[in-house]
Amino acid sequence: MSNSVLEEIMVKMLDLDMEGSKKIAQLVVEGDGTTNILDAVNAVANSLQIVGRRFQDGEWFLAELVYAGEIAKEVMNILSPYMKAGPSNTVGTVVVGTVAGDLHDLGKNIFISYAQSAGLNVIDLGIDVPTNKFISSVKEHRPLALGMSCLLTSTDAEIGKVIEALKRENLRDKVKVIVGGAALTEGFARDVGADAFAPDAVTGTDIIKKWGA
Amino acid sequence: MDFKQRILSAVNHEEPDRVPILGLIAEPATSNKILGRPPADMASMVMNPEMKGMIKDIINSGWKDLVYGNFSDALEAAVKMGFDANWMTYTSMEVIGNAEVEQGMHMHDITGRVWEMIGKEDGNIVMNYINGLCPTEEKWYAWAEEKGPFIDGFAKDAADFYTKLEDNYADWLLPIGYTSMSIFESSWQCMGFVNFIKCVYQKPDFIKDVIAFYTEFYLKYLEAIMQCDGDLVIGGDDLGQKTGPIMRPDLIEKLLGESYRRVSELIHRHNKKLIWHSCGNIYAFLDKFVEWGFDGVFTLEPTAGMELGKVREQVGHKLVLVGNLDVSYLLVKGTREEVESAVKQSIKDAARGGGYILSASHSHTSVDPTRLEWMIEAAHKYGKYPIAV
Repeated sequence: MSNSVLEEIMVKMLDLDMEGSKKIAQLVVEGDGTTNILDAVNAVANSLQIVGRRFQDGEWFLAELVYAGEIAKEVMNILSPYMKAGPSNTVGTVVVGTVAGDLHDLGKNIFISYAQSAGLNVIDLGIDVPTNKFISSVKEHRPLALGMSCLLTSTDAEIGKVIEALKRENLRDKVKVIVGGAALTEGFARDVGADAFAPDAVTGTDIIKKWGA
Repeated sequence: MDFKQRILSAVNHEEPDRVPILGLIAEPATSNKILGRPPADMASMVMNPEMKGMIKDIINSGWKDLVYGNFSDALEAAVKMGFDANWMTYTSMEVIGNAEVEQGMHMHDITGRVWEMIGKEDGNIVMNYINGLCPTEEKWYAWAEEKGPFIDGFAKDAADFYTKLEDNYADWLLPIGYTSMSIFESSWQCMGFVNFIKCVYQKPDFIKDVIAFYTEFYLKYLEAIMQCDGDLVIGGDDLGQKTGPIMRPDLIEKLLGESYRRVSELIHRHNKKLIWHSCGNIYAFLDKFVEWGFDGVFTLEPTAGMELGKVREQVGHKLVLVGNLDVSYLLVKGTREEVESAVKQSIKDAARGGGYILSASHSHTSVDPTRLEWMIEAAHKYGKYPIAV
């Protein structure tokens, strides 16, 4: 695959050009080699890294972050069927869910989209996740990190319950805990015994990647 | 100086006798606690599967009376506490039967949004936005065609609500009308954020129609408050999230700038002032607020990094500042010293030259009335003009 095509993927994605990005991805899969597909996937990941940097630098905002994630999703839908299974190069696994009583998933889903593009293997438990489901998933997947999202102050106590349950199950020192969501603050995360607070998807992903380094 | 003169003086950037204090009381359990009434048990009924049918009938048949009663209690509680003003907002919702909802109940509002109503242990009821009724272009046009005709009726009910509350409470404090169902939020929330963003880029004409629809709705909603004698209106749209704007300010200008200018023009045509509510980190919008004609800004969410001193430094006295005591900790669990210190700092940062109204940064079910008392006491102690802190 020529460098120009890969560059074009990045240009189209960073122009937030959905149709243009999909068209280039289609050209890639109509080519003739698996390696080229992987190069294209890397170009998508690199584009999202740039999107993340622009977001953190205050050049781009939530809308651009979300739309770039949607473009990446569409492009990956085209590329993924043509990828051959190879050795995993994931940075680590993170189990993610919105706490019990809370049905919101926008922040969680933005995080998932961005974390996956950054090389994290994400296990999404969904919304309204009870404590025992968080615990059983940590036991099953032995993740690097457990991420809990919470939009509502009426449900933020659930985070403390999960952390207490991790302690009871002797899992607390085996998994890092990161929390985020509109209801939460750095101080809350500290008080409840989490390892980190993520004010946004990009920061959260960076923190987890550092833990895995 | 009475409460009205105090507030008006502040919004005209003159120094009143002391810093005015705005109450944001809205929740029934909080009002009951302040008024010394036994707690209503609506919250546990809302959560009780066997009671849901009855609650649904009560809410759907008596919505207008329930909202009026709620804010009547809130204003009475605010008077008792000694606030100079309190907000009041009229919304329209209908409970929808949904057997799959295990917790609380689901409601649809007049702008096409779905809310969950959850009862809390403290007796308050919390309403949280869940998603929209119109995830596709086709569904939105069908919805708008069906619901559009109801807007005039809603505006009439809203006008009755605001004027009746004003008639009953304006001798005791300034009831300030707030239009809580706003243009940007209604536009994206009726279809969900991801769908909205995709349409902004892929179907700009559709989004133009959506925003035009909610702009007309909002102007009619504001007209309802114009029936009141009050000189101040709270409008609003949440344009920020924790770390910055939800959308690029230039894109918001392109999509909504004209709508916001029309909002300001309407308010000013009636010789009233407009205080704009927005949660989140909104430094990037402050200059736009001035450009759009807003007279003040409200919320200034401290947990999103908003600091009164920095805001005053950025906008000077082009905007009245309203806020911003923290409701995540300070007014929930803070000590008396912490509350007093925060009030003192707020007054120091924003009150000189007028143009400042002290308040919590938001209404919140967990806000403790005792902390509100401490806030008011500290405002009386440090808020006398000329400011000496």
